Formats: sequence, C-alpha cells, structure tokens
Amino acid sequence: MFTLSVATFRERWQLFVGAILTVTLGVAIVQSSLLIVASAGGYGEAIAILGLALGVSAFLAAFIVSSTFAFTIAQRRRDLALLRLIGGSRGQIRRLLLSEALLLGVLGTLLGIPAGQIVLSAQTALLENLGFLPGSFSAAWHGWILWVSLGLGIGVAQAGVLAASRRASRVRPLEALRETGAGAKVMTVSRWILGILLVIVGLTLMLVSTAVSNPNGAIPLSINAMVALALGLSALSPVIVPLIGRLTGTLAGRGTIGRLARANLRDGVRRNSSTAAPLLILVALLIGLAGTFDTLSEGAHHQLTDNVRGDLVAAGPIAPLTPGVATASTEYALTIKVTSVNQGDTETDDFPALAIDPAAYQQAHQLPLIAGSYADLHGLTVAAAGGKLGSTVRIHVGGQDLNPRVVAVLPPALNGSPEYLLPRDLVPPPALGPAQSIVRLQPGADPAAVARSLPQPVLTLDEWIAQSDSAQDSLNAGVMKVVMGLAALYAVIGVVNAVVIAAGERRREFAVARLTGFTRNQVIGTALLESAVVTVTGLLLGWLSAMAALIGISGVAGTMVIPWGAFWLTALGAFLVVGATSVWTSRSATRATPISLAGTRE
Amino acid sequence: MSMLQTQAGTAVELRDVVREYGSRQARVRALDGVGIGFARGTWTAVMGPSGSGKSTLLHCAAGLERPTSGQVLLGDRDLATASERDLTELRRRDIGFVFQSFNLVSSLTAEQNVALPLRLAGSKVSMKDVRAILTGVGLGDRLRHRPRELSGGQQQRVAIARAMITRPAVLFADEPTGALDSAAARTVLGLLRSMVDEAQQTIVMVTHDPAAAASADSVVFLRDGRIVDRLVRPSVREVADRLAALEA
Repeated sequence: MFTLSVATFRERWQLFVGAILTVTLGVAIVQSSLLIVASAGGYGEAIAILGLALGVSAFLAAFIVSSTFAFTIAQRRRDLALLRLIGGSRGQIRRLLLSEALLLGVLGTLLGIPAGQIVLSAQTALLENLGFLPGSFSAAWHGWILWVSLGLGIGVAQAGVLAASRRASRVRPLEALRETGAGAKVMTVSRWILGILLVIVGLTLMLVSTAVSNPNGAIPLSINAMVALALGLSALSPVIVPLIGRLTGTLAGRGTIGRLARANLRDGVRRNSSTAAPLLILVALLIGLAGTFDTLSEGAHHQLTDNVRGDLVAAGPIAPLTPGVATASTEYALTIKVTSVNQGDTETDDFPALAIDPAAYQQAHQLPLIAGSYADLHGLTVAAAGGKLGSTVRIHVGGQDLNPRVVAVLPPALNGSPEYLLPRDLVPPPALGPAQSIVRLQPGADPAAVARSLPQPVLTLDEWIAQSDSAQDSLNAGVMKVVMGLAALYAVIGVVNAVVIAAGERRREFAVARLTGFTRNQVIGTALLESAVVTVTGLLLGWLSAMAALIGISGVAGTMVIPWGAFWLTALGAFLVVGATSVWTSRSATRATPISLAGTRE
Repeated sequence: MSMLQTQAGTAVELRDVVREYGSRQARVRALDGVGIGFARGTWTAVMGPSGSGKSTLLHCAAGLERPTSGQVLLGDRDLATASERDLTELRRRDIGFVFQSFNLVSSLTAEQNVALPLRLAGSKVSMKDVRAILTGVGLGDRLRHRPRELSGGQQQRVAIARAMITRPAVLFADEPTGALDSAAARTVLGLLRSMVDEAQQTIVMVTHDPAAAASADSVVFLRDGRIVDRLVRPSVREVADRLAALEA
C-alpha cells in the first residue's frame, strides 16, 4: 500500500503542493513561536501575541489541509473506485490515504523545521521592532522542539485526511466505470447536520457573550462564536454558493457568458466551495479580530471620555493648595500579584492596579460602581473589577502579603484600565509606581498658568485620552500585523491551491465549451466571472461570521466598530489573487487545441 | 447451447434477475427477468442496441450492482445478497475485469499494475509470475513502462494481464476493443481466444462490435432488458445482421 502511496504522490504532486506548503508553514510558525515563548518569560505582551499566532496558525493549517484533502480525494474518486474494483477493501483505501497524508506530513515537517529558523529570526525582528522584545533578545534552541514539530506536522496532516478518507472509503467500485470523475453528492446528511449545528453553536455563543459583563469572558466567547459560525457556514457553502451565484449572476447579465457561468456555479459546487472556504475563514479572522480590538479600544475611549472629569493631567503628585487647582486625584500605577483559589487550584497573576485617594478619585472618575462605595475604601480594603462585595482577596504588594476586603465592585475593565484600586495608605511608598494627577481647575483659573506650576509634562484631558488611545492602538496594531499576515498567507495558499486544482480538472470541460463555439477569451471570461462570484460569497460569509464576534463583544464594550478599511483591503486583495490565479490557470488549461483535450480523460 | 453446457457446468448463473433504476415516478427497468448461465471455459458475448441493458447485465453478474430481485450465483454464493466484505473478497480471487478505458493506475508501471491485485489481496507477490504473464501478453519488454508510455493496445494487454494474475473464475470484459484500432483489437481478441482455448478461462464480454462478438463461442442478444436471441459460433456477418434487425 505504501508503494502505491509513494507512486501516487510522485504522479500527482501538484495536488499536494498546497497541503505540503501549509504543513511547512504551520510547523515553522508553531516551532518559532514556541521557542520564543520558552525564552521570553518576562515579556507578557510578546507571549500574548505569539499565543494568538500559534492558535491561528495551527487552526488554519488543519483547516486548509483538510479542505485540500477533501477536494483532491473528490477528484480522485475514479482512481479509488478502480482500486476497489480490483479487490481493494475499504480499510485499504483508508490506509492508502492515511499513508499519503503521513508522507505529506513528514515532507512538510522536514521543510518546516529549517523554515522555522528563518521564521524565528523574522518573528524576533518584528517583535523587537514593535517594541515587545528587547533588542538583545535571542531565543534559545531546545531539542524537544523537534518532537513537537514532527508531532504537529504529522498530526495536522493525519487529522486533515481523517474525515475525507472515511468518505472516500465508501466509494463504490462501479464509479470507476463512469465517464466523469465527478464525486457523489457534496451535501451529505452529516455535512448538513454539522453545518447547521455549528451555526447554532455560533449564534448561541454570540448571544451568551453579549450577556457577559467581563471582557475576559466575552472576548474568548465571541471569538469562538465567530470560529464556529465560520466553520458552519463553510460546511454549508455548497448550498450557499449557488444561491449567491444566482443572485449576483443575475447582475452579470443575461449574456452567454453570464448564463454559462451561472450554470457552472450550480454544477461545480465542490470546486467553488473549496475556493470560497479559505477566503471565508480569512475574512472572518481578520475582520473579527480587528473589529474586536477596535471595538474594545473604542469602548475604553468611551469609558474615559464619559467618566473622567478634569481639565489637566500632570505627571506627578500635586502639592496641596497649589493655586488654581480645585481638586486633584493623584494615582500611582503599580502591578500587584493576586492569588485566586479556584476549586483547590491556587493561581497567582499580575494585575494592573492604582493606589488612590478615594475621595479625590471619586471626584475625578464618575464611573458608577456596581456595588459598595468609595467611602469604605480605607484601611485593609480594596476595590476590584468583577469581584464579590465583602469577600477578601489575597494580594502581594511591596513585599508583603495582604488579605484586604472588597468594599467596592468596579465595572469590568476594558483595555488597560485598572483591575484593582487600593487606598494609598495600604501601599508602602517604595512600591508606588509612577504617579499622575487628574486636576480640576478652579473657576476662572488660567489653564496655561496653572499647568506651568504642575509636575511636567502636563497634558489637557483630551490630549491625555488621545495618548492612552494611541498606546493601546499600537499594541493592537502590532498584534494585527502579526496575525493578519499569517492568516493572509494561509488563505492565499488555500485559495491558489483550490483554483489550480480546479482548473486542471476543467481542461476537458473548457475544451468542450470551445468546441461548442465559445472563443478562448469567452471561456476565460466565464472562469473569471465564476471566480468573482465565489470571491463575493467567501467575503460575504466571512463578514457575517465576523459580525458574530463583533455583536458578541459589543455587549461588554457598549459600542461596535466594524473595520471597513481592513475589509475593503482584504476584498481587493482577494479579488486580485483569485482573479489573477483564475485567468492564469484557465489560460494555461486552454492553451492546447480543444479537440486534443476533448477526447482525453485522464 | 447444449454442447456448451455439457462441458463443465456453469461459472456464473443469473436467475430471473430484475434491475430497476429511479424512484416511483421515473422507474426504468434495465433488466426484466433475465435468466442465463455462463458455462465454464466458454466465451460469451453480450450484444444489443444502446439501452438494452447489456452493461447492467455485466455489472449484476460481476457483483458491481445489486439486482432489484433475482439471484446471481457464482459457485455456491449469491452475489445479490453478499456483504460488501464478501464482494471485496470475491473481486480479489474469483473475478477479473477488463474495460474499454483500460483503467490502469497511471502512477504505477506495467509490472506494478499487474501485481496490484495480489498486493491488495495480501498474497505473496511472485515477480516471476508477473513477468511471465506480461510476457504471455507480448509485453515482456515493457515491464517498467507507465501506462502513458504505452499504446492503447498495449495498455489493454496490461489490463488483461492484471485481470488474469489472480486466475479468476470469470473474466468480465466491457467493450475491451472499443477504444482500439482494428489491428490492436485483433491482437486483444486473439489473446482472449487463446486464454479460453488453452486455460479454459470463462469470459463474459459486452460489445458493440460484431467482429469482436464473432470471436466468442456464443452471442446473446438483449433488447429492453430481456434476452431475445442467441447464436453459437456465428460469423461476423450473422452477428451484424441480427443486430441490425434488433435495432430496426
């Protein structure tokens, strides 16, 4: 069986190029990210970004490999039926495909391990550039990573082929005798069930997420809602693509090309959904993630503008009785360790906190409390975001362990806002971090004159809000650059692969169209039109899935931002890539004279 | 007919086989109560106009399609009710196929293609046997060639060698000369003839070509899913006339 796998592999390597590249990329990125994470203990932001990259990468690799495999197996139905015809059992067909996947996984891994070292230096440089890692950073090599890479590469390939091989093993021997290699029904019962189930799960998660008041809960929920919806819609895409084809096809006109394109969209369902699927996932991930970040920072911005009352913000404590100053809330930023006990597991994490003067803080921040009151915030007490009133928390600050009581519950913290407020006298002075004071002026005082007497630099409130926005935005932008680049790379591999495989399959169909009187350009035009409709479908469904994430997160953020700029950029890129690949492949598929192709079957 | 049956009993027998396609509204009866036995060591050609049910007959006889009703007996087994596993076993040991479109695995050499059924069956592969059988079909010098490096006639001879390597009880052939020029077709028919004469191979062959049918021991004519006529050792002329009469 293995000989046959090797032989098939040699013969049909074009079908596997996309999957091999995908495994290579997946192995390279996961390996490099893990090596950096293993060495970057202290750099939380870098670890967070890489964690996201790791997840996205492994997910996309598995997705692209499995959709490529499903597609190539559909194309080889006739070959597989032939094996059944001459005595191959179902188990043998499965073993054949699984050993092909093994071969592919090993090959992808062997390429991926050295590629990982290149990705490592690129990732390190990028993270240093974005300021998440120090310039001197260098990830140490670990031997165990080879096993992780090998396991991942082979695992992704095997997982990708599992479902498709089960399906392939049910091919009937008689199908070897059919004229066309066209596969059986695309929409099987199990595919319907899976698709509908995932859509329901997606929508449910979205609704649950809108009701969650804590961003730490709402973000993963809404991202999961998006992923479930995207997978569900891509499972259902064989039904949706022709539907949208009919809608948009009507716009394409009643001309001959439009008619043929519409008919082909109805006919080549598997081909079209294989092309639409990676686009769908790309758009869902990009728009969903970018939109989540934008929505959260917009929400944080609203929290600041709505709640902070003041005129100036000074970078230090304000001396009492400074002329022109009505009230000033001096806030010291610090990081505290909080130990939480969760079903017997103790977990200690770092949290951003502020040491404040409760009375002054209340004047400067009109953020309504969920429970409790600032008035009680003195002595061994704390205000916590999302805690329980009256409970005690274990914190470690300035070298001492404390068990303060929660006397006030803050609304959930959006990007960067403090999770804990401590009364100033609770914190030993050496532990206090940099201070800033939100200053309210006396009526009639000259802001410029007062500002000169305060600790520099002094910003107006608007400037200060703008500054905290941009700090947050640059972190988000860094994350997006890393993740977007990744997702786009995978999607390009997936889409180009699907279009190339599809065009190979269509040589004969194109030839027949030309023999019936279509010119070569009309055939190419039809293919282009079809690919445009498929692109629109992929973009639309991806956008819908992304909306699940945005609606989910809007509950906690109190607002919603749809990143149209990123969407249109992706759309433009998708049309260019799909269009160019489609024209290129259909040109090369129609280069030979039609009559020489119409007769050949293999 | 009686002469054929006295030889050694039947290899395959269809008893009152009905095969229907489609659902209630658009029901088509491709085989309408066919009963026929194919005697061991004989070569039978099945002919008929397009849509007469001859391919369906071949598929049912070979266990590729299940009849709607009736029995298909190969030895003491009924293919109509056999399990998928049994049918796979059967294809490994007792049944060989040759098709119009050769159906070779394009990534494998002639040698590997011929050895494939043995490998699938998990039996020990003797390369000596493989080479002998390829030499027997006149391809001793083409062992390492891939299908695309061979002519149509050569590919069909590889396919015959592949079907014969397991020494099947019955060889089913569907238009084996349909894609060949007349010289190549003659070679292939001569090969099949010698297998029947020298090794007592049973062959059931569907064909359109009166010349191919005339190489067989007997010719069965089908129309509208029923056997309507039978000729023993006919000439090409007789076959052509009978076929023309059926199609008229």
